[in-house]
Amino acid sequence: MAHNELILTDVTKRFGGLTAVDALSFKVESGQIYGIIGPNGAGKTTVFNCITGIYKSEEGSVLWRGEEIRGKTPYQIVDRGIVRTFQTIRLFGQMSVAENIMSGRHIKSTQRWWHGIIPTPGKKRDELENWQKVEEQLDFFKLSEFAATPVGSLPYGLQRRVEIARAMAVEPTLLILDEPAAGLNDKETLELLETIFKIRDKGVTVLLIEHDMDMVMEVTDYLTVINFGKKIAEGTPEEIQKNPAVIEAYLGSEDDDDE
Amino acid sequence: MDTFLQQLANGLTIGSMFALVALGYTMVYGVMRLINFAHGDMVAASAFVGLTIYTQVMGQATSLVAVIVIFLLTAVAMAIVGIILERVAYRPLREAPRLSAVVSALGASLVIQNGIMLIWGPRMRIFPELVPQVYWDLGGVVISLIQVIILVLSLVLMVTLYLFVEKTRMGAAIRASSIDQDAARLMGINVNSVIALIFIIGSSLGAVGGLFIGLYYRGITFNMGWQYGLYAFIAAILGGIGNIPGAMLGGMLLGLFNAFIAGYVSSTWADAFTFILLILILIVRPTGILGERVAEKV
Amino acid sequence: MKELQKFAYPVFFVVMAVLPHMLDDRWQAVAITFLIFAVVALSQDIILGKCGMFNMGQALFFGMGAYTTAILNNEYGWSIIATIPLAIIIPAVFGILLAGPIVHLRGDYLLVVTIGFNIVFVQVLQNNLGGVTGGPNGIFGLDSLSFLGYDLMSQISVYYFAFIVLLLTLWVMHNLAGSKPGRAMHYLREDQLAAESIGINTRVYKIFSFGLGAGIAGLAGTVYATQYSAVSPEAFEFIQSVLFFSIVLVGGSSVPGVLIGVFVMFVLPEIFREFATWRYFIFGFAMIAAMIMRPRGIWPATFGKIPKFLIKENNHGA
Repeated sequence: MAHNELILTDVTKRFGGLTAVDALSFKVESGQIYGIIGPNGAGKTTVFNCITGIYKSEEGSVLWRGEEIRGKTPYQIVDRGIVRTFQTIRLFGQMSVAENIMSGRHIKSTQRWWHGIIPTPGKKRDELENWQKVEEQLDFFKLSEFAATPVGSLPYGLQRRVEIARAMAVEPTLLILDEPAAGLNDKETLELLETIFKIRDKGVTVLLIEHDMDMVMEVTDYLTVINFGKKIAEGTPEEIQKNPAVIEAYLGSEDDDDE
Repeated sequence: MDTFLQQLANGLTIGSMFALVALGYTMVYGVMRLINFAHGDMVAASAFVGLTIYTQVMGQATSLVAVIVIFLLTAVAMAIVGIILERVAYRPLREAPRLSAVVSALGASLVIQNGIMLIWGPRMRIFPELVPQVYWDLGGVVISLIQVIILVLSLVLMVTLYLFVEKTRMGAAIRASSIDQDAARLMGINVNSVIALIFIIGSSLGAVGGLFIGLYYRGITFNMGWQYGLYAFIAAILGGIGNIPGAMLGGMLLGLFNAFIAGYVSSTWADAFTFILLILILIVRPTGILGERVAEKV
Repeated sequence: MKELQKFAYPVFFVVMAVLPHMLDDRWQAVAITFLIFAVVALSQDIILGKCGMFNMGQALFFGMGAYTTAILNNEYGWSIIATIPLAIIIPAVFGILLAGPIVHLRGDYLLVVTIGFNIVFVQVLQNNLGGVTGGPNGIFGLDSLSFLGYDLMSQISVYYFAFIVLLLTLWVMHNLAGSKPGRAMHYLREDQLAAESIGINTRVYKIFSFGLGAGIAGLAGTVYATQYSAVSPEAFEFIQSVLFFSIVLVGGSSVPGVLIGVFVMFVLPEIFREFATWRYFIFGFAMIAAMIMRPRGIWPATFGKIPKFLIKENNHGA
């Protein structure tokens, strides 16, 4: 019954007179690496914001594992196994890498409010367990040497990694990545690719927005293409590459994509 | 009905004064997102400065010309103080976290308030009778010449300011800086000049407000600025912070509300009720009656 | 710095423990007030420093605790010690109730609303609501501390009472720092959207911080009531809240910072009492200067400790 599927049906989001997302429908199946692509300003991040609860879409439905999550708050959605990263990287800049990743353990921690006041053996155990999980993420993402470094002082590529590590610390079922390759050089993009595959191997479904076409073709199983908030095509990367409507939508913006 | 009209008259008068002071808060907050805590104390200082100009400079003359001169000189003096205040306490903190600017504002408030006390002493002083004590009895409602002057002059000033902000280029610069300081700068607007102008206007209007307070209440003390300033800031929020017509409207409404509570319910609870009103408004309609005009830095 | 910190705390505690015996009456009283204000300032730090909420009404909760003790002792004859649980719980409950409708407000509005609450509170006290708050003169003639049958009337006893309360507060803050709720407050202060998006129910933690801060301030209120055997409304006017607010920001959101802040904002003016009239004038300039030179406070917050096992040898930073 509770397939790990994300189903959007006719999702529409308006800002005053502007329709940013227009009756969008797509389905992400368990274990897929699903891509959302489209020219700049097509409404991709807005879609993600609607899924993760930052916006509430005016119409349509967002079903996750059979449950309607449209209208839920961001933290409630994390509680249901969906975690996202941000296009602009929203880390807790002054805090160390380890502390940042630890924030991902918040929802898994069993402490209650009184543990903020009084220590109990349960609290000590919980703290230890969660820091150990942080250690696992540090190892997995090769960030161990930076554990105590303030995240804001790290180079961009590393910050991206920390953000994904933080998201993975939540042990999500669906990981949503908003332009994870933005600002990365070729080598870093390759590493990112491998990381995404490894994440999928762990059983996590991945939904991502990307501009970097090479990367998209390599990493995704299935794509939906959006322009002006509307779906203009969907299919496997090979199908999409040959789709005339897609080619036309990208004509003129192809220059942007040469990295 | 008598009491109603009487409170109405009182309320409008008090409201005008609140409005004049509120304008200073709202303009500064609109552009700099800063609560200028020292503004209330500047208003208080204006009353004292006016007092001194009257006694020392004008030789206690009360002719119309003399009164006008007192008003003008006080306004100029306070405008200068306002510029100094901005340069010393606020400009160095433009890039700092906002809370730091708040503390600096509080510090400035202490300086001005205690400055008043050091110069003019801690005891209440009596403000000179610059306006003759003329009263009219309109069917049971007593209105004084002072009230009429306050009301009329405040209205004139507010309309002038409104026209200035809406119709002139400098006014447009102020509005643009309220919406987005960085964009305004990129458009070639000298934001430093805009800020200086805001402090000049705000301080001058506050100065007039302070003189009115002196005229109306007669007794002035060095620490009356805080409470008054707080009320005026509430008026600005009521009307929509950053919104100039809003501050005017908020001031009038607050004055009316205060007068009616004092008249009908009880003066000892006036403060409490006013604040409860504020809290309810902020919960129900946080953008104020006419809506905010402040940039949200997302 | 870390070695210094290891020494600093024990030295501080030892000094504070023996201090009262070296001071005369007037300075003992100052020391007691230092301790009490330190507790209130730390409670303010939880809300303002750790959780990032512009609260300028902490005197309200401080006063609530003091008045709870005063009323229970004066009207109902409870011993001071017996009033402690309620002096903590009642402000804490109010903290939660008041915070509920307002925590979503933008910073400056929250500021004004908390001032509003403070003013309403003081006016309620002055108007002798229910006949128990004693009006503008307050309530006086409270009992002194008595514990297990011993009457502890001396000022030194009050000092140690205050000292124990401070130690307790420091212990709670230490527990808070290495806990889920404590970290949640840091995260939501740094970036509320990111915190929400990683699964933190920011609203709950904001309210929690208010409740906790209020409860601790209430406990300080009991000590205050004991020190003077009286309570009156002036002690809890919103100007006091402004003081506590400034202490946290000028001193910095850390334990040393807050203690330094209390010292600077309260003890120094006492030292310069002879310059009574000039005190606050110079003080205002000092506040401005402090913020310009050290916008994050004299001793700013440093972030949480992470367990040693995470720090590998060739570590960069911290």
